[in-house]
Amino acid sequence: MTSDATALVIGAGPAGLAVAACLKKHGVSVIQIDRATQVGSRWHGHYERLHLHTVRHLSNLPGYAMPSDWPRYVPRARFAEYLGRYAEHHGLAPRLGVTATSAKRSDGRWRVETTEGTLGAKHLVVATGYNHTPRRPDLPGRGVFTGEVLHSSEYKNGRPFKGRRVLVVGAGNSGAEIALDLWEHGATSSMSIRGPLHVTPRDMFGVPAQETAQLMARLPPRVADAITLAILARVVGDLSKWGIVRPKLGPISQVVAHGKIPLIDVGTIELIKQGKIVVHPGIATLTEKGVDFVDGRHADFDAILLATGYEAKLDSLFADASNFTNERGYPRDHATETGPGGLWFVGYRNPLTGALHDMAREGERVGRAIASS
Amino acid sequence: MGIFDHWHPVLLSRELGARPEAVRLHGKEIVVFRAGATVGALVDRCPHRGMRLSLGKVKEEALECPYHGWSFRPNGEGRCPATPEMSAHAACFDAVEKDGAVWVKSKAGSPAFPVTDFDDFQAVGTLHHVIPVPLELVLDNFIEVEHTGTTHAFLGYEKTRMSEVTIDVTLTDETVRVVNRGPQRTLPRALAAAFRIQSGDTFTDDWTTHFSPIYSVYDQYWTDPKTHEVRDARIRVAVFFTPATDTETHLFTFAYATQPKWLRFGLQYAMKPLVLGLIDHEVRLDKRMLERLADTRPELVGNRLGRFDRPLVEARKRIASIYRAASTLKHAT
Repeated sequence: MTSDATALVIGAGPAGLAVAACLKKHGVSVIQIDRATQVGSRWHGHYERLHLHTVRHLSNLPGYAMPSDWPRYVPRARFAEYLGRYAEHHGLAPRLGVTATSAKRSDGRWRVETTEGTLGAKHLVVATGYNHTPRRPDLPGRGVFTGEVLHSSEYKNGRPFKGRRVLVVGAGNSGAEIALDLWEHGATSSMSIRGPLHVTPRDMFGVPAQETAQLMARLPPRVADAITLAILARVVGDLSKWGIVRPKLGPISQVVAHGKIPLIDVGTIELIKQGKIVVHPGIATLTEKGVDFVDGRHADFDAILLATGYEAKLDSLFADASNFTNERGYPRDHATETGPGGLWFVGYRNPLTGALHDMAREGERVGRAIASS
Repeated sequence: MGIFDHWHPVLLSRELGARPEAVRLHGKEIVVFRAGATVGALVDRCPHRGMRLSLGKVKEEALECPYHGWSFRPNGEGRCPATPEMSAHAACFDAVEKDGAVWVKSKAGSPAFPVTDFDDFQAVGTLHHVIPVPLELVLDNFIEVEHTGTTHAFLGYEKTRMSEVTIDVTLTDETVRVVNRGPQRTLPRALAAAFRIQSGDTFTDDWTTHFSPIYSVYDQYWTDPKTHEVRDARIRVAVFFTPATDTETHLFTFAYATQPKWLRFGLQYAMKPLVLGLIDHEVRLDKRMLERLADTRPELVGNRLGRFDRPLVEARKRIASIYRAASTLKHAT
């Protein structure tokens, strides 16, 4: 396989597709690869109940929108379908089933080794995603526990867990939604939440949290925090009685400072308040039949579900990844030329205004920048 | 699984205030009450001397019996103020408040909660009707459209054109799905305009009945008979059939509608009462008709059935195999 393209895009998820479409629009020759056998593969595999947490009209990728009769919060399967249609609409033909194994810069060009040979390009756009590799924390006592342990990426729905006791580890959006899904399927559902956490309903008074957030993002963080906390105190209330403690830092500042968005609740909190889903603190150690928690309590479980997120795993591509990644393994610079030059990262942020919305803007920026370079 | 092992709605959230409420589920008398953020459901009979707990008051997240002041938490755990060291326990149910209703099931079993996909829709409201007729006969009325021409005022098909209405039944082990299509009956002009229905439009009533618990989810929409273009306004309604006793059925309706593009600038607030009022009116008409039945046996044996009655037969099979299958609680009389 040889290449004489200007830009090489690794990844054909929403970020990769957005960049490729924008590059194509500007007449830049593009080669795009993805390790999976279909575009947006993560979206095909995510659990069934999942919907975008962002509203449809703020989740579109550049140049081709989702149909206006689709729901406000698009279900996972439809979003996956949209990604396929998006690639088709823009005439993108990513080479699928091709895995990039290493990327090196030499003589002002990038050389990327893949499972199908070497590719070269002036610009390398990395869009391998926020959800590249499941993060599976090393739980103490993991070898002792006789129950099932699985990652949220392997979870489809709660049906197999009916009548079983399941502990969901992690309090991100997927952890909370899976805990709800498990309860709805007749499992005994519990969560392990390690640290403080902001919670916001998906909609408040009919207005999506994302739209409120877009408004708040324009205010100074301190002001936005004060307003948001006043609203959340009324709408969500104090959850410390149920094991969910609010962080010292306000919800908006937390996004700005740590890139940590609040938990967007789709019904889990209501069940936590009613004691249907029990919240435990962090895990001290797994035991044969259950878990010892850091508060000294013990509970038995039949299964543990790790909703502990994903890693970008950029070090699997770049030997010198630490030169341009932060302590969490995500790129330091976004949608701007970085590293030794000709290197661009797209889709590694999750801002207040929505990850997909951000990817769309990043894609346009990178498209323009590469076209004019 | 028995009848009590399914999640049944027994009360709308707005019907439950600070005072406990007495409800019935398949003849069993149950008291439902709020205790902080949770709801409790106990057998409505104090284990001490048989007083109705529903006549008591909630104090400090426990329901206090009016007779001797024994009090019980939502999990049934009781306290006897005169003999604090004694342990008392009231028979209790699992209760949860969700989607605007209070749901109850027996402690045993782990049924799936009836989740309905309302993604495309906006919530319009909830309704609660009491029909003094056995469960099967109420359900029968809600799973055929032949009565719509005579019983109903707005929704449904013209009596004189009922023969043109098509019926398509799809069966699974768990569900019965029926799709009816035919010419929409003539509507008052203002109503047709509000829903953007044109004269001569095809009305589709596409619903699926589930049996754990028993409920039907209706998709109702109108299409242009030539282009098959779907009109803006679509309705999705879930109706739950809760048998209070052998002869009384409670209907819990969760109504949703699309928000058509032309309904912006707050106009949807006018649309909600209109849709809810319409459904309420039609259910009352059903109730009026059902109350007049001469024969209220739940069986179909001896009845002469028509082409629209096949779902009734199929529903009965699933009521027996899923809904009524071996009860874990004794039927209280």
